[in-house]
Amino acid sequence: MKAIDIAIKDMKRSYRSAVGLVFMFALPLLTTGLFYFMFGNIASGGEFDLSVTRVIVADLDEGSPDLRAQMASAPGGLQAATLGQVVVEALQNEDLSDLLEVSLAEDPASARGAVDGQEAQVAILIPADFSRQFADPTGRAVLEFYQDPTLTIGPGIVRSILSRFLDGIAGTKIAVEVALDEGGPEIVERIGEVVRLYLEAALAQDADAAGMIEVRSPQAEHEATSPLVQIIGPIMGGMMIFYAFYTGFATSQSILREEEERTLPRLFTTPTPQPAILVGKLLAVFLTVVVQMVVLLVAAYLIFRIEWGEILEVGLMTLATVITASSFGVFFNSLLKSTRQSGAMFGGVLTVTGMIGMISIFVRGSPSAATLGNTVSLLVPQGWAVRAMTMAMDGATLSSLWPSLLGLLGWSAAFLGIGVWRFSRRYA
Amino acid sequence: MNAIQVSELHKSFGDVKAVQGISFDIREGEIFSLLGPNGAGKTTAILILSCILRPDAGDAQVMGHSIRQDPMAVKAVLGVVPQEIALYEDLSARENLTFWGKMYGLRGAPLRQRVEEVLELIGLTDRANGRVSKYSGGMKRRVNIALALLHKPQVIYMDEPTVGIDPQSRRSILDGVVALKNQGTTVLYTTHYMEEAQELSDRIAILDHGKLIAHGTHEELVRIVGGLDRITLTLSAESPPLIEAWKATRGVQRTSVEDGAVSLLVEDSNLVLPRLFDGAAAHGVRITSVDILEPNLEAVFLHLTGRALRD
Repeated sequence: MKAIDIAIKDMKRSYRSAVGLVFMFALPLLTTGLFYFMFGNIASGGEFDLSVTRVIVADLDEGSPDLRAQMASAPGGLQAATLGQVVVEALQNEDLSDLLEVSLAEDPASARGAVDGQEAQVAILIPADFSRQFADPTGRAVLEFYQDPTLTIGPGIVRSILSRFLDGIAGTKIAVEVALDEGGPEIVERIGEVVRLYLEAALAQDADAAGMIEVRSPQAEHEATSPLVQIIGPIMGGMMIFYAFYTGFATSQSILREEEERTLPRLFTTPTPQPAILVGKLLAVFLTVVVQMVVLLVAAYLIFRIEWGEILEVGLMTLATVITASSFGVFFNSLLKSTRQSGAMFGGVLTVTGMIGMISIFVRGSPSAATLGNTVSLLVPQGWAVRAMTMAMDGATLSSLWPSLLGLLGWSAAFLGIGVWRFSRRYA
Repeated sequence: MNAIQVSELHKSFGDVKAVQGISFDIREGEIFSLLGPNGAGKTTAILILSCILRPDAGDAQVMGHSIRQDPMAVKAVLGVVPQEIALYEDLSARENLTFWGKMYGLRGAPLRQRVEEVLELIGLTDRANGRVSKYSGGMKRRVNIALALLHKPQVIYMDEPTVGIDPQSRRSILDGVVALKNQGTTVLYTTHYMEEAQELSDRIAILDHGKLIAHGTHEELVRIVGGLDRITLTLSAESPPLIEAWKATRGVQRTSVEDGAVSLLVEDSNLVLPRLFDGAAAHGVRITSVDILEPNLEAVFLHLTGRALRD
């Protein structure tokens, strides 16, 4: 119980240090934020602003008598006389107006010219025999799609809309062909009927046409695989580990600080066993780093939408990192005579080992350097923590994560064993 | 009954013998002072009796518990006021008291009640929630002492609690020590201020170079110097022949020179002083100041060690 009291007191003191709070929480998030804004211009509330694609259509379709007869008799009145006109109407649908701005051209040359002149991004050329080819069971209805080669998103959307629309029509046609094979020539008239039904359904469900284009901002559900998150996720993880080790060291320093403040000798005058005092101090270090890690994991998810991986793997990775960071701090503080020597530790040991540990993050994009970088980073405990973290982020299973976790625990056992031994001897 | 019984304690740090076989006992409910100059071994003795330092040899019993065999039981009956302020300055007085109360085993409502009582006692109820770092030196001293009183200990060690504070706070602390004695608490008080030891103590032990050179009541100690007066003189110039002449003067028992001042223990200052002036005139030396003290602890220390007990 007294150990818990000591831990709570130490944590209270840690969280009253403005400098400590900055290093624990603000700096890791700020550093990652810098990368976030450097690599992704999505600071405006996370909304993805998709510009309207200008489409110009040259509809030369002359129609087909059979098709026209059926479409004219459609309940609710389909006004389109040709299949080309149906395509145009589909593109001009109100639900697509946020995405497409459709205009008509007199002929294919002017439509192509509009694209060449950058007045439109896409030109759709509907040939004169489009309906006729469609109505012919052996025919092949083909649209020409002409786009600005420097663009991808806008033309891609138009292509998607058309593909879905035409896929549906093609499917209908196949169904009709099967029916023809089975039913004989008298069913020819039924082609139009089937197409009519399809078009009726297709146009009645225009909203679905818009729905087939799912426009999502980079923060939507597929963010984990977005390039931005792929870049800043490991960076945030690296920062989190770097500063977790910092916190482990800084909070472990409370042992030396209390010695200098004379509160530690005073604690020894109370009926509190020495092991309870040491356990309390270690517990404070551990819990402070736990709080820091959990806050940063959650904050990074909420702010940057970083997916850390499966809960069990992330939990174990976090636990192992916390234990290692805490024991690292205890070990290095046990080597110091006073807090005045800690500057060298902060500036030297923590920074150097932290940077070495993060090498593997910065060589992720370079396969040739990755092998060497990954090996070098494992020379320090931070490297093992980074490895476990990136593996968890990449969806590693528990069985593949175990070696990294055991590596971390190995470092911890060595650090903690030596650190506790030295402190126990010091205060014996 | 003895609250504390010390037997042949020894403690060395390398070649430095900090405590050399001291023995004494302290009765229940008395104020016992350890008096001595800086480096005499007072704090080392307190640390040993607080079970922070382990003696190289010897033992002590505190309320019947051996500091060697049962240090936890000793600590449970003790309150220790360290020489230097030992507080968490980034916590408030109330938070400090609550934490230290828990370390002494207090919990829940009794702890909360005791914290309020102690805050009232040291007059800090209004400032209880302010951070200690914002307190004055005197306020910190009071909190420093209050922490040792939380669990109503049977024995309190106070290691030079009045060092570096203003006269008003010193007076307040000395009154507090007397109040503790009146409540039946045994107090072991260390100081190098002779006046404090003289005013407070039922009995006094004088330490020098780790050795206990005398102990007893104030009257018993003064009797050691045989009722001698102490005369301190300063001269216009150093004159070893004059000092030698004074040593041989009738009525002079002991002579020492420190920082240009000559201290003499004499049988009757009224008779001896004219002889001292005559001697100075004979050696052509002018006496620039004279200070006469009737028998006190300073004189005892001078008598026993040949040195002055300097503040």
